[in-house]
Amino acid sequence: MKPAQTTVPHQTLRGNGWLRKHAGHYQLWLMVLPAVIYIAIFCYGPMYGIQLAFREFNFSKGLTGGEWAGLKYFEQYFNSPMFWPTLRNTFIIAFFSILLGFPMPILLALVVNSIRSNRRKRILQTTVYMPYFISTVVLVALLQIMLSPTTGLIDGFLKALHLIPADTNLIGDPGAFVPVYVISAIWQACGWNSIIFIAALSSVDAQQYDAARIDGANRWQTVWHVEIPAILPTIIILLIMNMGSILSVGFEKTFLMQNSLNKPVSEVISTYVFNVGVKSNQFSFGSAVGLFNTLINFTFLMLANALAKKTSKISLM
Amino acid sequence: MRKKSILALVLAGCLAGLSLTGCSSKENSSDVGNDSSNTPEGKTKLKAIIVKHSLTKDVTQMKWLAEIEEKANVEIEWQQISADWDQKKSALFASGEIPDLLFNATSNSDFVQFNGLFEDLGPLIEKDAPNIQKMFSEHPELKTLATQIDGKLYGTPRYKGIWPGSTASMFINKTWLDNLGLQVPTTWDELETVLLAFRDGDPNQNGDKTDEIPMDFNPLGWDFTPKLLLGSLGLPLSNGASDGYFTEGAQVKNFYVDERFKTLMQFLQKLYSQNLISKEVVTQDYSKYQSVARGNGTTAKVGFTWGWETGDRFGNELKDQYVTLPQLKQHADSTDELYWSNDYYYQNYGSNAVSVSARSKNKEAAMRFIDGFYEPVVSLQVLFGGMNDTDKGIKDNGDGTYAILPPADASLDPGSWKWTNSFADNGPMYIADTLKDKVTLGSDMQNVLKEKAVYDELLNKADEKSNVYPQNFMKYSTEDTNTLAMNQANVNNITDQKWANWLTTKVDIEKEWAAYVASVNSSGLEQNLQIRQKAYDEYLSTLK
Repeated sequence: MKPAQTTVPHQTLRGNGWLRKHAGHYQLWLMVLPAVIYIAIFCYGPMYGIQLAFREFNFSKGLTGGEWAGLKYFEQYFNSPMFWPTLRNTFIIAFFSILLGFPMPILLALVVNSIRSNRRKRILQTTVYMPYFISTVVLVALLQIMLSPTTGLIDGFLKALHLIPADTNLIGDPGAFVPVYVISAIWQACGWNSIIFIAALSSVDAQQYDAARIDGANRWQTVWHVEIPAILPTIIILLIMNMGSILSVGFEKTFLMQNSLNKPVSEVISTYVFNVGVKSNQFSFGSAVGLFNTLINFTFLMLANALAKKTSKISLM
Repeated sequence: MRKKSILALVLAGCLAGLSLTGCSSKENSSDVGNDSSNTPEGKTKLKAIIVKHSLTKDVTQMKWLAEIEEKANVEIEWQQISADWDQKKSALFASGEIPDLLFNATSNSDFVQFNGLFEDLGPLIEKDAPNIQKMFSEHPELKTLATQIDGKLYGTPRYKGIWPGSTASMFINKTWLDNLGLQVPTTWDELETVLLAFRDGDPNQNGDKTDEIPMDFNPLGWDFTPKLLLGSLGLPLSNGASDGYFTEGAQVKNFYVDERFKTLMQFLQKLYSQNLISKEVVTQDYSKYQSVARGNGTTAKVGFTWGWETGDRFGNELKDQYVTLPQLKQHADSTDELYWSNDYYYQNYGSNAVSVSARSKNKEAAMRFIDGFYEPVVSLQVLFGGMNDTDKGIKDNGDGTYAILPPADASLDPGSWKWTNSFADNGPMYIADTLKDKVTLGSDMQNVLKEKAVYDELLNKADEKSNVYPQNFMKYSTEDTNTLAMNQANVNNITDQKWANWLTTKVDIEKEWAAYVASVNSSGLEQNLQIRQKAYDEYLSTLK
């Protein structure tokens, strides 16, 4: 049981290049083992359930016991009158969430990083990341109260300043749904998401700042030429990962904010799956729609990854 | 050697993980459904789940319930749920591991979808349930209600018989009318005039002309809404008309695609555009709807609205300002037959009060326990609270008559007290018709019956065989259940957004109507109507 080093006897591993290469680092493999087991059990294991999307669900025979139905449920979704509306709504919400929601934490991180006083920096950081811990239910209740067309604080404020017309109902108006959704999401998650960028910024070598200053760079030039390049790899990796979830528009918040007035824009794939699949017990149909959603996410992830790899040589895979 | 030990570690990890994820369903099932162990006193132990109202207190503190358990010689371990059951139940039922007894937790579509999970109670009732047998012999329609399309009975029904035939009443603020010197409106046109006066005057006389809301209602698919005004146009609604379905001349129809609905929406749009309807009518939730109508203490804020009862809707301070409004005519010279939604079945008959797991090992004991609820005097306690000093729900007058007691907690109104103190309307019950006259109801129910008397004449007019549609009584096959559910989700998506859009904007409804009807029909409404017609025809054939 002498600990093996890279000097593994040739004859035992002959012809097995992979094993020869990695046997020497077995400690690393041991460390990653719990994660591998976790992912195998909780992420790959349940995947056998996706066959439900291709079967007639039969309770007495279990998830995998029903008759094969082929692509019946996919066709049912593609032919359903709700296909285009749900797809379009999901895209719109996801697109604006990324377009506006992604740069904000970066800007915030740059601002926080430029604050000299440690005390103020801590206060600001804590204040902006706290909303992240408000539960979605409470957040939506807050929105309902603040944006109420008769008694809402924010609503009254915006109307007093004539920023919105006096007859706007911010929680009902289909045109207001996406802005309210995206802005409240930014308010809630911006501080939390900026933490990773702040961490990346803290690793910038102080010498680079000094060099920039000696070269006569002003504050903006320092940001542009020192700080942004330093966090660029982090930005790209996170963007790729966000692309992977482009269509997994948060079910909870959308569902809670939904009402008869804004339904034309608020019925997204996940709420549709819930309304048809879970509430009406149409499990196979729900799985099919959910699987379709995942396929699109996967496509976006691969596209973004390939694009990043090609343009900047930074990628996940 | 090394390889082996790593492999062993992986396997050990996997096994540990598997046992955590609950793949070992066989082990678990033994302690969920099949626990046959008895208590030291020889009682049978059963597990039960109850879906109760959020007000309802811990059921283990109800003495009347303990008495039923005692009598049936069982000990129940309760799991109590008061929110989000719709979401939770799919997961629970799909796992196959359900408790022995399920109170108020199942629906007909569950029996279709989870075939084999629930016990057919028919044989058990014949063997062990004298009270339920008596109920079925006195009200055979309850057996029809409970029997599924496969001839089996997976859930016991409930019957009250003392509730009024209509769910909603229409209320108008009489004090406001008097202050402005106006008459109670009898037509839509007069109603509009009154609402305009409510808007422009200061009927609550607090010096502020802008705090009055002339008209307020629930989102249209719900109970307390202007859909009741469809009765002005000769459209006979019944039993809540959920999802818009009603029957007229023995034909199943849907009001969302009916010309008369268009007329109603045009009227409502006109009212909304004149600022006569609350701006939050679509977006407010029920609690907001309730609190707005209760005003600020003694100042009323709402002029015209729908609700269950004045005390419940406006609070004790303001309830005396309001009167029940009889059904309106459209115009003074309209000749349309007037109707009011006949909700007698909806109010008094309920299905699936209790179901039993097919895996339960103590079905006889379970049935003994269920039957205990259906003894008429016990049922009274299920509905109104116990007849003892702990529960303080009902007083036994000793001469075969009973009186519902006022709330022991003075801060609660009688309705809230009932829901707090007992299973209330969610319980399994059979209030025998012979008992009905021997019960003195609480002040709230007396008031309900008194207020709703103005609709009696219209309700009696509803023809049982052609204009009343008790949706609860309809049974569908697995395939039909699935089709109905899928189609309805698509149909609701259109109707739900369209009425809200029409109400709050100024679009020309007339112009959009034809395209709207076509899209609703093609989204599955036509198919649903056919399926429902088939079931309704079968139901009619069972009526004498």
